Amino acid sequence: MANPTLETIHGLVYGNGIRVGKLSNLGRVIATMMGKHADRVPFMGPQIHDHAMTVAKVPARLYYWDSQLLLDVHLAINRWYGFDTGTIIADAYNFEVEALGAKFIYSDTAMPTVDTNHPLINERSDLDKIGPLDVTKGRIPMATELAGIITKKVPGPFGQGFFCSPFSLICQAMGYPKAVRAIKRDRGFAQELFDYVENDVIFPFMKAQNAAGAKASVGADAWAAFPNLTPDLVDEWVVPSAERLAARGKKELNMTVSAGLAGCDYCEEDPAKFNKEIMFECWDVACKTMFLDVAFSGMGRTQDWNMEWLQEYAISHGKGRRKLPIFASLNGRFIRDSAPEVIVEKIREWIEIMGRDGGLLFFIGNVPADSPPLNIHTAVQAVRVLGKYPIVENLSSIKIETKAYQPFDEWLKGQPEEEIILKAREWKP
Amino acid sequence: MTGKFTTIREAVVDGEDEKAALLVEEALAEGLPPLEILNQGVIAGISKTGELWKANEYFLPDVILSADAFKSAMVVLEPALKEGSDGKPSHKVVIGVVEGDMHDLGKSLIIALLQSAGFEVIDLGIDVPKDKFIAAVRDYNPAIVGLGAYMSTTMLEMKEIIAELTKQGLRDSVKVMVGGVPTSQEFADEVGADAWGKDAMVAMEKALELVGGQNG
Repeated sequence: MANPTLETIHGLVYGNGIRVGKLSNLGRVIATMMGKHADRVPFMGPQIHDHAMTVAKVPARLYYWDSQLLLDVHLAINRWYGFDTGTIIADAYNFEVEALGAKFIYSDTAMPTVDTNHPLINERSDLDKIGPLDVTKGRIPMATELAGIITKKVPGPFGQGFFCSPFSLICQAMGYPKAVRAIKRDRGFAQELFDYVENDVIFPFMKAQNAAGAKASVGADAWAAFPNLTPDLVDEWVVPSAERLAARGKKELNMTVSAGLAGCDYCEEDPAKFNKEIMFECWDVACKTMFLDVAFSGMGRTQDWNMEWLQEYAISHGKGRRKLPIFASLNGRFIRDSAPEVIVEKIREWIEIMGRDGGLLFFIGNVPADSPPLNIHTAVQAVRVLGKYPIVENLSSIKIETKAYQPFDEWLKGQPEEEIILKAREWKP
Repeated sequence: MTGKFTTIREAVVDGEDEKAALLVEEALAEGLPPLEILNQGVIAGISKTGELWKANEYFLPDVILSADAFKSAMVVLEPALKEGSDGKPSHKVVIGVVEGDMHDLGKSLIIALLQSAGFEVIDLGIDVPKDKFIAAVRDYNPAIVGLGAYMSTTMLEMKEIIAELTKQGLRDSVKVMVGGVPTSQEFADEVGADAWGKDAMVAMEKALELVGGQNG
C-alpha cells in the first residue's frame, strides 16, 4: 500500500472492529492505539541513536553532524530489528544549547554533550547576553534538515522533527539543581526562563523546521520525569508551557508541536518505593503531555513494576468500552543486561496481563549503546509470536527460540543504506 | 540547646540554606560544641531528608534544596570542626565522572551524603581521564574510588579504569563503586566493581558497608 494516509485510515477502521485486509506496520500501530487489538501486538521503534551508531560502526563525529547518515542508519537498524515504526532522533537535548554557545564536549565514540559545570545561564542578565537562537549556528541546520528529510522519506504521523522541551532545555542551560531552585524559590525568574526558551529558542527552531518541510515536532522532557519533578510541578510548569507552544505552533505555523513528552514518566529506581497512588498521579499528568491519552511507561525500572496497575489504569481511564492504549516500555538496562530467556518471560508476563484485550504496544526505553543485538531481536520475535491475536489460551506453552540472527553487516549487503554506511566507516576527521 | 539543634535540623530538612547557615553561626556564637551542632543539627537534618526520600514523602527537588542547606551549614561549620578535630582520620573517597561525560547531578548529591556520613571526599570533577583516576588513587590512597557516568557510551570507560587499577597493582588497595543512569548491578558485576549505587542514598549506605562502619 505504502500510503501513510490510507494505512492510517485502515488502522482506524481495523481498530474500530472492522478487521479486514492485511495491516501494514503503521496500520497495526494505529489500530492498537484505538485501544483495541490488531493482528498482533506492535513493537514500536525506540530511541536508539547510540546503539544504532555502535551497530553500524559509524564515527560519532560524523553521525551526529550528518542528517542523511543519521536517518539512514536509523532506517537500516529499524528494519534489521523489525520494529513496526521508528523513532528517528539524534539525542534531543543538546542541539539548542550548543547553538546558544554552551560549553560542550565532543568525543569520537559518543554524542556531543553539554558541560553543565560551566552553565550557559547563571542569572537573569545572562538571558539578554545570550539572546535568541540563531538557527544558522551549531548543528541546528543539521536538525532542521533532518526534520525535513524525515518528513519526505518517512511520511506519516510518526515522521517529524524534534527539540528539547522547555524544562529540560532550562536544565541543559543552567543545570538541574539551579532549574529546581528557580521553580521552587524564584517563580519570577523561572517564568522568565520559560518565556525565554519558549519564545526565543524553541519557537525559532520550530519555524526553521517548518520551513524545511516538517509539519510536526516533538519535544522530549526527560528532566521533567518523576522523581526529578513531582506531578504537581509538572502540572504547574511543564503542562502550561507545552500548551502555549502547541497553541503558537498551530496558530502561526500550522504545525503540531508536542512539548513535555516524558514529563512525569515514573522513573523511581527503587522497587521498595514503587507506589500505586503516585504512579497513577504520574500517569494522569503524563497523559497531558502526550499527543493522545495513553497509559505510559518510558524509561522507568519497568521490569520490576506490577503491570496489573498499568492495566488497571488503562481500563479505568478508558472511554466507553475502550481501554487506553498502553505504551509498555522494556527498560533499556534490562534489555542490555538480561539473558534472552529472561526477556522472553517478561514479554510473556506482560502480554498475559495487558495484551489479551488489545491496546498494548511494546517499545524499549532508550536502547543503550552496548546492548546485545540478540536480546533485541529476541524481544521483537517474542512480541510477534506471543502477541499474535487471538492470544493463545495457554501462553506458557509457546516456545520462543533465541536463535542466532543475521549479522548486521551481512544483512546490510544490497540494502539502500549500504553505500552511505560503508562510506561513513572510511571517514576521517 | 536542644531547641537550637532542632531548628538547624528543620532548616536543613526544609531546604532553607540561608537560614541553616545563620542558625549554625548563632549556635557557634552561643558556644555550642561544633561536633554536636554537626551530629544533632546538620547530619540529623540530612538524615531525616533521607528518611523522607525513602518514604516517598520527599522527591528529588526537595532533596536538592535540603542538600543545598546542608552544604551552606557545612561551610560555616567546617572551620570550627577542623579547629576542634581530634586528628582521627576519616576514610577517603575519590570520586569523578568518567571521560567524555559531563553529567554530575548524581555525583553532587552523593558527595553531600558521603560528607554527611563522615567521609573525606576528593572530587575529581567531570570528564575525568583514566590516568587522573589512577593518579588520585595513588596520591590519596582512598578507601573507595567512585566512578560515575550518564551515557551508555561513556560508562564503558569504567571497565578500562578498573583494568588499569589492576594493571598498576592498585586494585586490591581500593574498593570501586560505580553509578549513574545507564549502570546496573549486572553492569557493576561485569566490570568488576565492588558495589553499585542505584541512587545517592544507597550509594552512601554501600560506601559505609565497604568500609565496615557506621561512619565514613
